[in-house]
Amino acid sequence: MSSVKKPYWRSVEDLTNSNEFRDWMHREFPDGASEHATENERRNFLKVMGASFALAGLGLAGCRRWPEMKIVPAASQAANRVPGDPVYYSSVWEFSGFAQPVLVKSYDGRPIKLDTNTMHPWGGAGISSAAQSQILGLYDPDRSRTVLSKNTQSFYEPFSVFLANKSRDLRASGGKGLAILMDMHSGPSHADMIARVKSAFPQAQIVAWEPLSRDNVIQGNAMAFSAQLRPMPSFDKANIIVSLGDDFLYGSPDSPRWARQWSAGRAVDAVDPKTQQIARLYVVENGLTTTGMNADERLAIRLSDMGVVAALIAQGIGAGDGSPELKSAIDTMVKSQATQALLLGRGQEVITALIADLKSNRGTSLITAGATASALTHALVAAINRTLGNEGKTINYIAESMEASKDRFTALCTSMNAGSVDTLFILGGNPVYDAPVDCQFANAMTKVPNVIHLGMYADETALSPSCSWHIPQAHFLESWDDARSFDGTLSVQQPLILPMIPVGQGGKNQIELLAELLGSDPTDSYSIVRRTHVAASGLSGVGFDTAWRTWLDQGFVAGTAAKAQNNAPLASAAIAAALRAETTKVNASDVMEVVFLRDMKVWDGRFSNFAWMQELPDPVTKITWDNVALMSSQFAQTIGVRRGDMVKISVDGRSVEAAAWPMPGYSDASVGLSVGYGRTGPGVGSTALDAGFNAYKIRTTANPDWAMASSIVSTGAKYLIAHTQDHGAADALDSKVPEEGIQERLPTLIREASVGEYRNHPDFARHLTHVASRLSLWSETNLEGARFRWAMSVDLGKCTGCSACVTACQAENNIPVVGKDQVLRGREMFWIRIDRYFRGSNPAKPEGFAIQPVTCMHCENAPCEQVCPVAATVHDKDGINSMVYNRCIGTRYCSNNCPYKVRRFNFFDYQRREPQREEGLLKVKPEYYVEDGPDVWLRMQFNPEVTVRMRGVMEKCTFCTQRIQAAKIKYKNAWAKSGGTASGVDNFPMPDGAVETACQQACPTNAIIFGDLNVSDSKVAKLHRSGRSYQLLEELNTKTRLQYLARVTNPAIERESGDADDHAPANYDSHAKAGS
Amino acid sequence: MSNSSKGFTETDNTQQPTGSRAPLVLNMHKFGEVTHQVCRIAENRPPMAWYIAFVICLGMMGFLGFCVTYLIFTGVGVWGLNNPVMWAYDITNFVFWVGIGHAGTLISAILFLFRQKWRTGINRFAEAMTIFAVVCAGLFPGIHVGRVWLAYWLFPIPNSMEMWPQFRSPLLWDVFAVSTYFTVSLVFWYVGMIPDLATLRDRAKGRFQQFAYGLASIGWRGSMRHWHRYEVAYLLLAALATPLVLSVHSVVSFDFAVSQVPGWHTTIFPPYFVAGAIFSGFAMVVSLAVPARELFGLKDLITMRHLDNMNKIILLTGCMVGYAYSMEFFIAWYSGAMYEKFAFVNRAFGQYWWAYWIMVSCNVITPQLFWFKAVRTSIPLMFILSIFVNVGMWFERFVIIVTSLANDFLPSSWDQFVPTWVDIGTMVGAFGLFGTLFLLFCRYLPMIAIAEVKAVMPEANPHAGHAGHAGDDHGFPAGAVPALREPRSSEDSL
Repeated sequence: MSSVKKPYWRSVEDLTNSNEFRDWMHREFPDGASEHATENERRNFLKVMGASFALAGLGLAGCRRWPEMKIVPAASQAANRVPGDPVYYSSVWEFSGFAQPVLVKSYDGRPIKLDTNTMHPWGGAGISSAAQSQILGLYDPDRSRTVLSKNTQSFYEPFSVFLANKSRDLRASGGKGLAILMDMHSGPSHADMIARVKSAFPQAQIVAWEPLSRDNVIQGNAMAFSAQLRPMPSFDKANIIVSLGDDFLYGSPDSPRWARQWSAGRAVDAVDPKTQQIARLYVVENGLTTTGMNADERLAIRLSDMGVVAALIAQGIGAGDGSPELKSAIDTMVKSQATQALLLGRGQEVITALIADLKSNRGTSLITAGATASALTHALVAAINRTLGNEGKTINYIAESMEASKDRFTALCTSMNAGSVDTLFILGGNPVYDAPVDCQFANAMTKVPNVIHLGMYADETALSPSCSWHIPQAHFLESWDDARSFDGTLSVQQPLILPMIPVGQGGKNQIELLAELLGSDPTDSYSIVRRTHVAASGLSGVGFDTAWRTWLDQGFVAGTAAKAQNNAPLASAAIAAALRAETTKVNASDVMEVVFLRDMKVWDGRFSNFAWMQELPDPVTKITWDNVALMSSQFAQTIGVRRGDMVKISVDGRSVEAAAWPMPGYSDASVGLSVGYGRTGPGVGSTALDAGFNAYKIRTTANPDWAMASSIVSTGAKYLIAHTQDHGAADALDSKVPEEGIQERLPTLIREASVGEYRNHPDFARHLTHVASRLSLWSETNLEGARFRWAMSVDLGKCTGCSACVTACQAENNIPVVGKDQVLRGREMFWIRIDRYFRGSNPAKPEGFAIQPVTCMHCENAPCEQVCPVAATVHDKDGINSMVYNRCIGTRYCSNNCPYKVRRFNFFDYQRREPQREEGLLKVKPEYYVEDGPDVWLRMQFNPEVTVRMRGVMEKCTFCTQRIQAAKIKYKNAWAKSGGTASGVDNFPMPDGAVETACQQACPTNAIIFGDLNVSDSKVAKLHRSGRSYQLLEELNTKTRLQYLARVTNPAIERESGDADDHAPANYDSHAKAGS
Repeated sequence: MSNSSKGFTETDNTQQPTGSRAPLVLNMHKFGEVTHQVCRIAENRPPMAWYIAFVICLGMMGFLGFCVTYLIFTGVGVWGLNNPVMWAYDITNFVFWVGIGHAGTLISAILFLFRQKWRTGINRFAEAMTIFAVVCAGLFPGIHVGRVWLAYWLFPIPNSMEMWPQFRSPLLWDVFAVSTYFTVSLVFWYVGMIPDLATLRDRAKGRFQQFAYGLASIGWRGSMRHWHRYEVAYLLLAALATPLVLSVHSVVSFDFAVSQVPGWHTTIFPPYFVAGAIFSGFAMVVSLAVPARELFGLKDLITMRHLDNMNKIILLTGCMVGYAYSMEFFIAWYSGAMYEKFAFVNRAFGQYWWAYWIMVSCNVITPQLFWFKAVRTSIPLMFILSIFVNVGMWFERFVIIVTSLANDFLPSSWDQFVPTWVDIGTMVGAFGLFGTLFLLFCRYLPMIAIAEVKAVMPEANPHAGHAGHAGDDHGFPAGAVPALREPRSSEDSL
């Protein structure tokens, strides 16, 4: 048994597998032990707690859900441990094979929030919504909690017996008939375990497979270099960035890092504005993505034509290492009729400008392609970067650790169908739902006698009739593992809590199950990971322990980033051959394609039970709780559908029905439908159930990224889509609101100028509105002499719209998820929202996009405060517009009078009800209430520092007042301890950046800056003095503490449009006295 | 007695005969007949129509009770409110009912001070209507708050938290304005009713009625001293109530005018709201008077002249409201303020265009028909038009509140309000509450101010009985009914 004084709690196995404990549990609480498996009552929790405490006291083990050894009664309390103070641990979350460094905030042994690990070389660039929402997975009430044997509840023990027998048999046969299907992992422990399995079972078929794979990237670069190389772009070093369908700002696991790099190139911080330069971003894409919305020049084409565009660019810059073979192949493709069609109109304009820019920025340009672009596109992109001399400057190649998985997966399905697989382990993943439809995975599974599924959920695969065993999987915060981030840096995955899964019900992770399959010792993840690292580091004893401690503390193993392997010879012949093959397949320009989009909210469906992600408005469409068939307005008109009308999309005899959604900026020949939705079967969590439409129904092995549609027709049915932004140019077809009203005000709401205009008028943002003399009806709040003047600055030039701040705020401030039904009624509760607008008079073809995060402006002269009859919203001296929940009676007048509409009202007791998916518009459900509020597990995620609001009260952004108070206490204590009180003046120092709001902390691009205006050299004070800084609706005399920095863009093409004129110097109001 | 008018067609008293006054009470020979005609309503079984109406109204009120209970137990979310539109039917109904409540006090107080004798026929039930309308109005601010159980925090009650309401909030002014208005109107109504309650007491046959009316008439004996004090009190209350007629709706309009929502933030609101309130109040009086005089046989007391006069006021205030609508548009355009301009264009042509055009056609176009005397004196037409005006005025409040909130400054937050069945149920139920109270009033209290009506009869003139005065075949019992106001020579009518 473990000793008492361990700095980090370790083996889960010590506890869960200890016979003493298990026997004791069964003897003492036989009901509780099994009841806990299906229900989640406080009583049970306390029972287990009680048992744990008792055992901890006896020195047998620690306890569940508390870091072992740390809650052992105060007699042996850990050093520096202040009860009620959060403790931070570094760990890592592996997403699709890429480690995401996280810093886990834990209160009394209860992890509540995931932030980025700023110490990590690959961290510190904010944290995506998906990563943050993983904390919900830990406490998800729908999580699998019991072992299932043929769909009936069982225990881990009989499975262990089964596994031991099976292992013996398989070992005897050399692994014949054994197959292991797992998701992508990059860590050495996984590699080590797989190597051991391979040696013990040489004939075993081991497949690492992801439904949303990087096969195209891997194969394309392999084609270009005849080597396994991974392109690693440095967006911060490029002046010209060309993205061929690469949604690098939002759509990939490592987007926060890419967004941080991109924003560096967009920084408007030249000392002399006249010398300001910023990078230019070209995006060629089929639909509209976050990256596309941030593009300076954008072109919408079919995804299937991306290879043609790559060829056009390659031809334009003369790519190909001087290989005549490649050159002629490129020329042949470009000359084809379909290619020429692309060059009509706007396509010609953008591509010409793009090529010219690339040519004049050799070595400082960068071209990338998205994971859904074809392998050929990736190969051409590699060739172009090579020709431009970008290699080693804006792009580096490192060893690719993954292998293309599609063929291996197909081979597995084939052998399953052939009946040659006897035992199949599915470790993570849900292939019954997400495998390519032509594999007929569920059918293939029936031919496998023993299927063992390890997963977080008893999902479609676990509950399929042919699944023999389902084992609940441990969450990444519950088990040890390791993983490598994109750049190769190795991190150890450190758990914070013992598995929430009841004792005797598994709670294993993949390496533990593989160890058990091997029948070798050790079988606990801690020992396995430690063993791997001992072997890899060559250290031992105290030396290893010290290093190990450091790795855990900082969250990574220093110096493990992969080395660049640039200048591999270009395989021109291979690319040329692929080009020639592709030329024959270019589709006629009038054939519609269906693109299988990658939705960062649910990914391949694995996050679909996370309510934060379901309710998070998509950054582009602002749709919640569903996916939709995105298409251009023109195409929607052609087939006679409007928003929410159902369409039937048929591909090769298979079809799916989905709600149509005309979307500005879409290519007229492309329809996008994201995967990961439309889960209906048994075993789907209550949140994921019935959300959206299942694109997997038409996704085949041959066409995992796009397919040419046989037909797309209206079915005549309607579907209700809950979206958070109703009106805009996008909806001009449906909207009855006069469109001019929107277009007229946008230039003053979201101020932007091209870099050229900025050079001439650095303070353009301050001269866009006329602010008349300011008169207040009331005497204004007196903020003179305040100790602090908290303020925020939001840089519209850096904000990509990725919505990480929205989720961070939700996690920090216990913001409820309200459900689709309530979103339909316009009652979403987000304290910060991302507004998205389209610019231009043609709703189908917008000239530009605008993104603006909006939260409480903390007006010094706040309209909400003046109208509250009970003084429930008042100003504090430091300038924060406070909301006193206890005093609020809910007249909602404050919200009516708030020009920014950032106040949120608890129409129901949202914290005490489960999110409802959908009810008719006129139907109001009395069952909004559940007996005892949300699942007690879900409650464990709440931030204890923030009040949970009841129904009938208003709430809104507080500038994270709890963080401000915590920082004040911290610095004041330090000041007092160092004798500061002697002066008698309460002037303790607070360094700039001592307080970080949750949104600021999560923001990948540092678009949000918070601080004290009283400190004249604080970041926020400097930004507020910037010529780009402006107040939203300044003319209302609200005197906002949140100010925006106007966006500076870098368009390549001069445009004659009304909107461009708004920024023209001639239009500046010379009488403006803004800022006076 | 209904017999007294038998055989007579409805006399046209809308013309002012040269040299004399048009009679305000028709076909009436004796004071006693007036007394009897009013009192018999309270003393006898009501007509079947009353029962039918009462059951319907009671049912609607019951539904109101259900909706409100459901609302309070479940949350304000049972209404269709959403983030930009935090007020909709609730405050629409509040303002609507407060507006209705204006006519009664206007008739009782302002017309009294202006010596409009014709008010006597209609003032009693107009005042009752006011009281009940304000009861309905008061319901909504009470139940619309998120935490109803704490609504009392709106009142300045000393408490251990030492928290006072926030005196800059127009909602608080509302609390004061409406509660003051309600109190004064109630006292005014009750004081005016005391002599008539005494009459009912004196005529009552059952023990219970004698006791109840006796209690309510607080010892009224009709002595000269009583009459003297009564008249002074009535005059003072009239003087007190008069500014309230103007202030209440001005204060209610501040809820909007003081805010900065485009479409609310308008200086024309106070007078415009008062005009609108009188407009809707008179329309409601007509809507109620027309069936009431039919049902209870009060055509001799509520004559065509009364209705004609009220229709003229509807025409006048309707024109004022129409002027206000056009002035709002003019100012929105003239101001050059982008958001203001949009608010009004959006009102007329945006997502709620239909509500706006219902409002305009009901409130501006409909009353113009009252330029024609044939319309003003046609019972069916005036009834229909008065209903139109009521509908229009409800929509006016809806348009002001909902269209302004739904599309304010930031287009991203724009949304649409869709009512739920609870919204509609609460609105309909409020009419049930109003109807129930009004029907009970008709059944048990003197619907017409008996004493005051007698004062405008020729008999009330001390010189009655002399040759040349019409219809006086009875000697005037001097002193039995005092000349309430002034010598007849100063009597006037519109």
